[in-house]
Amino acid sequence: MRNIYLVILCCFLFSCSNREVSTATIVERDYLTDLLKNPPEDRVQVVNFWATWCAPCVEELPAFVAIDDRNDVEVILISLDDASNLETLVNPFLMEHKITPTVKLLDDPYAAEWIPMVDAHWDGAIPATLIQKGTQKMFFNQTFTSAQLEEEVLKFL
Amino acid sequence: MKTLKILTGVCIVALVAAIIFGAINISKTTDFYAENPEEPIENTTAIEALEDFNSFSDATATGYSIGDVATDFNLRNIDNTYVSLADYPDAAGFVIIFTCNHCPYSKAYEDRIIAIDKEYKEKGYPVIAINPNNPTDYPEDSFENMQKRADQKGFTFPYLFDEQQEIYPQYGATKTPHVFLLRKENDQPIVKYIGAIDDNHQDAQAVKNHFLKDAIDALLTNQQVNPETTVAIGCSIKK
Repeated sequence: MRNIYLVILCCFLFSCSNREVSTATIVERDYLTDLLKNPPEDRVQVVNFWATWCAPCVEELPAFVAIDDRNDVEVILISLDDASNLETLVNPFLMEHKITPTVKLLDDPYAAEWIPMVDAHWDGAIPATLIQKGTQKMFFNQTFTSAQLEEEVLKFL
Repeated sequence: MKTLKILTGVCIVALVAAIIFGAINISKTTDFYAENPEEPIENTTAIEALEDFNSFSDATATGYSIGDVATDFNLRNIDNTYVSLADYPDAAGFVIIFTCNHCPYSKAYEDRIIAIDKEYKEKGYPVIAINPNNPTDYPEDSFENMQKRADQKGFTFPYLFDEQQEIYPQYGATKTPHVFLLRKENDQPIVKYIGAIDDNHQDAQAVKNHFLKDAIDALLTNQQVNPETTVAIGCSIKK
């Protein structure tokens, strides 16, 4: 009997672990450089540039939360909010909107230096999304619906 | 004992539900793999190249490049007059800045835009700010709120409303703030610089490159603008 309880407890713990709301942490440019230099081979990485003040970004977030549930997809949301707003704006926003994928706040105002590293055609308007796996890479300066995002991600699988 | 039985019952139901849910998830994944066999890498690279090409040509086809003739406009200013480039016969050129009220990046640059207008208006390059946003999406960017913001900040330049959203696509503005520096050549406004005001929206004191000021200074001294285009994070303009 006790074993069953244990099994059930484990089931619940396990099923919940992936669904926890994220807490954003601050990163600097080296994080982005590493991310761009070392795309994973075993999963599709979806890197989305957004901010809490960007309405079209906020609109498309549910699509990114949904696709992150797949085991073969990893979503990384790079917030371009000001670092001083981390605890007052960004983390409360993640809680309110139940944002579960990894969130990093990129604290690097010299965007003209790192925007071209992401893609040569990006002029800095957000939202912007980079999908990468191994040697494959695609960049999108557009808003995604869930269906559009899934369609693009599937091309990598 | 009875409570224990009930508890056990509840737990078993939960367990069964968890298994079924898991099974559904597994079958979904299987279907997905069956329907989408891995595509060869060459294929995707071709798609990437095509996509890149498309997105690039889309972006440039609808907007100006350096050297293009910029269109004039006739847009409503916050004082309810209408403003055109033709109203400035004595100007050597224009600093057209697509900006708005709601965007934190625009707000961060308001004081710097005022300073640029004050400094360069006298030298022949007045600032003309244009709000390209649809206030249905961003109520903060309504005409009334533009008037309020300009009043609060003491804007020294016209703040025009691209109400029909017809001007910003011709220029190719994608975000706020987005600068287009024009110089009159044979009475035609020619695009000389496109991009950011400088390279640090957060801290004016920590700016390393004053892109816009350097570009205007280059024009004033008849030198080559360098760089002619720059990138910066901005708030996407919403149709």
